[in-house]
Amino acid sequence: MGATPPERRGGRPRLLLLTPDYPPSPGGIQVVSHRLAAALAGFETTVLAPATPGAAEFDARSGVEAIRVRSPGALPGPARIGLLNAAALARAAALRPRLTLSMHIVTSPAAAAIARASGARTVQYFHAEEIGARPRLAAFAAGHATASIAVSEYTAGLVREAAARHGAEPGALHVIGNGTDVPEDPAPLADEPGRATILTVGRIEERYKGHDAMLRALPLVLAKVPQAQWVVIGDGSLRPGLEALAEGLGVAHAVRFLGAVSDEERNLWLRRARLVAMPSRLPAGGFAGEGFGIVYLEAGAYGKPVVAGDVGGALDAVRDGETGLLVDPADPLALAQAIARLLADPGLASRLGANGRANALAHTWPHVADRVEAVLLDALGGGGGR
Amino acid sequence: MCGIAGSTADGEGRDVRAMCATLRHRGPDDEGIHADARSGVAIGARRLAIMDIDGGHQPLSNEDGTVWAAFNGEIYNHPKLRADLRARGHTFATNGDTEVLVHLYEEYGEAMVHALEGMFTFAIWDERAQRLLLARDRFGEKPLFLHEQDGELLFASELTSLLEVRPRLRELDPVAIDAFFVFAYVPGPGTIVPGVRQLPPGQLLSWRRGHACEQRSWWSPPERAVPRRDDPRAIAAEARALLGEAVRTRLVADVPVGVFLSGGVDSTLVAAVAAEESSTRLRTFTVGYDVGGVNETERARIVAERLGSEHHEVTLTQAQVAERAPVVLASLDQPLGDRATLPLHAVSEFARPRVTVALGGEGADELFGGYPRYRWLERARRVQAALPGPALGSLGWVLRRTAGFPPTARASVRLAPTPVLERNLDWVTGERRHLRTALYGPRLAALDEQRVLGDLAACAGELNGGPAARWLMHLDQRHYLPDDVLVKTDRASMLVSLELRSVFLHAGLAELAGSLDTSLHLAGTGKALVHAMLPAGLLPDRRGGYRKTAFRVPAAEWLRGPLAPAMQDQLAYGTLYEEGWFDRAAVGRLVREHAAAGADHSDQLWPLLALGLWADRFHGRDAA
Repeated sequence: MGATPPERRGGRPRLLLLTPDYPPSPGGIQVVSHRLAAALAGFETTVLAPATPGAAEFDARSGVEAIRVRSPGALPGPARIGLLNAAALARAAALRPRLTLSMHIVTSPAAAAIARASGARTVQYFHAEEIGARPRLAAFAAGHATASIAVSEYTAGLVREAAARHGAEPGALHVIGNGTDVPEDPAPLADEPGRATILTVGRIEERYKGHDAMLRALPLVLAKVPQAQWVVIGDGSLRPGLEALAEGLGVAHAVRFLGAVSDEERNLWLRRARLVAMPSRLPAGGFAGEGFGIVYLEAGAYGKPVVAGDVGGALDAVRDGETGLLVDPADPLALAQAIARLLADPGLASRLGANGRANALAHTWPHVADRVEAVLLDALGGGGGR
Repeated sequence: MCGIAGSTADGEGRDVRAMCATLRHRGPDDEGIHADARSGVAIGARRLAIMDIDGGHQPLSNEDGTVWAAFNGEIYNHPKLRADLRARGHTFATNGDTEVLVHLYEEYGEAMVHALEGMFTFAIWDERAQRLLLARDRFGEKPLFLHEQDGELLFASELTSLLEVRPRLRELDPVAIDAFFVFAYVPGPGTIVPGVRQLPPGQLLSWRRGHACEQRSWWSPPERAVPRRDDPRAIAAEARALLGEAVRTRLVADVPVGVFLSGGVDSTLVAAVAAEESSTRLRTFTVGYDVGGVNETERARIVAERLGSEHHEVTLTQAQVAERAPVVLASLDQPLGDRATLPLHAVSEFARPRVTVALGGEGADELFGGYPRYRWLERARRVQAALPGPALGSLGWVLRRTAGFPPTARASVRLAPTPVLERNLDWVTGERRHLRTALYGPRLAALDEQRVLGDLAACAGELNGGPAARWLMHLDQRHYLPDDVLVKTDRASMLVSLELRSVFLHAGLAELAGSLDTSLHLAGTGKALVHAMLPAGLLPDRRGGYRKTAFRVPAAEWLRGPLAPAMQDQLAYGTLYEEGWFDRAAVGRLVREHAAAGADHSDQLWPLLALGLWADRFHGRDAA
């Protein structure tokens, strides 16, 4: 505690960004956490995240200061999260941040404790799924933050609902969508000979992402566009079941599960695909679905139209009839019609793709970071910290 | 909507008309034939009016009469499909689901089946392509029989219809009789006669003149066990939402709808969801018996009271069994040795004046892991894998002699290195196959005994080291469910022109169930997901003095009482014994032992009675 707080050296306020999900492990929250940490120019940012394989190499390359928390052996999830929170508290004592940005509700206990101990302000990020799974913790997180950021109107609704149900009074709630990288030259690649590619990118862990709906729609798509193929990037525990379903439906020949691939390969497929489809649906029973769906924006960055479910965060990420087509994700026929329509009408596909590109350019990470930074500065400047 | 028939060599539609006449009980309200004289193709339908009562005449066609459809079943998602097709510019002349098929075919060709949620078989005649397309639903809820000869194809919803116009096919197939004795049903795709086969569940058949028939699978139950990390609460919530949709869409009809409530978990869940989804007071129906001491009706009554349904009970008395069994068992299209056929027929007949459609819980046991043997045989397999051979042999010996704990004893009857497949078969059939040599007459003596088992193994596929329970569930979904459970459901209800809709066979729900790890299904006492969906406090439980018992049809008592004369008649004059299919003296011994109540041989005698009564009628020698 005797050392001079680092922030005084650079003159910028010290920000501690807490996240349980950080690259190089894949996923949306990982991407948001890293992109914000890299782009928040007005802050001296330190990331606190779990140690994962390849983390050291990643951090050396990324240019973002990151403290990695190691957990001994294979600890169960809750223990790892506990360790992360404890490490955050311990580090905060030395770093003395003026602001904590908690990227997930599981790090909100540490953020709240830091606030109590040092008076640091807290800004809490909300995605979606975590709110449905742990509504009480979500309410706690919202109630203890100076301000909150939801990635979509859908997510903001979930936050308000959880807070109301559990008697929390959230601070200011801002909706800031996720961002994307925009390649300078997303020149489309030609189809593989005789193949028109529909692309889906995302981990195959949650049923709500609608991989099963895609399989049910595929025979109908093939009836209209026999050369269609569905390329699936991403891996997860649901994959073997989906492969079995593809066989049962007689469409295995038109599906390619590529598993997890490099960014380069993924980008090649984004250039090659005719469209990107991810018909996420709302899970039943109060569980939350897609908070935003960065992949919709990424598709736009590559000039590709998207087909998405007309629910949840996709309503913010996709503009129906402008950047893509929104359909009832539980209706295989509607899904098939939308996909077949884009495959059969290159003019429509390229018009939606061009709009998607323009939309992506307006939602690059620097744009997002600017908006987040404004919220952070406002939280710092506002009186009466929580 | 309830029976179809067709032929590719019937330009005037004579055979088709004759076949349709035999389907009258399936469709009493209307008949229609479309014959294409130029191509020789005719398709026809008999209809039970349930939807669009006035406008649902079929076969019907597209606007220019180039695509014709005849349809049996229900498409539960037809309003949604209709809206989608309208948006694509199709115009509709009726409100029924048959017309949806026509336009869907125009749009998607044979891939259209993937858009359908429901139970169906249909025929589509595409005049332009000169192609006849036949399709059957995912689980085989609706039947379709085929006869192919010299490039011509004949099809109908019932075997009886085909035999009506092709009488020379009327002969019994020894291989099918053997399989029937082993299983107590005729396993598809074969039938009881050599010249006729069935279109298997989830398959399509395409016929064009001068080409071989193309037949392919469009759906089969997912078979891999997948360990997964989803929150079990989220899975239960998703299953419940799908079940809600399944019930909601199955309640839609222009006629009254009820629920068959046995007081078991499955039908109670169906009734509970139906009560929630229904805008009018739910009607529930239960069948009970005057013998056998089963408290089934009481459980159902308590559930009905708790749900506030308008509850009806019918008692199938011994006198009625004596009168009805010979008629019902003989009038089934193919022989069926499932003892629940009679009560299902009785409750259908009782319900028919009050409702035209009823919801049932069929398929839940097979899809959601309800049978105790799934758990027991999995345990037995693990024991078998862990113990050395001699130890197994002695354990088996001890267990066989331990009378006090029947499930274990049964699971372990052949604990010695008997494959799971055979142990399962012996469990469900009361080891009937081991009596073949003793009971078969000369006409069955020359059969290859291994053939039935070989066919079963082929249907089961490879165990591949996965959990035995999963493998057995998959086998039941492909064998027992379509060829026994759903045959019983379709025929027993159709005999009285009632439509029975199976809620658990909703495509999305079935695919969800099939995608889950077996351990999730078998947790607790099994069928964990069904229990998770059931509202608390609905079923009578131990605290109320109710023990969870398997529902038992008192077949053993019936065979000693009201059906003893029919069995005696069979032995005296029955086709099975007169023609040398079964050994009169050997079966006679079983009958005497059973009658003296020294032993329960109902596992053997019930299928023999069912087959015998059916065979007598088949040969035009009704026992009466």
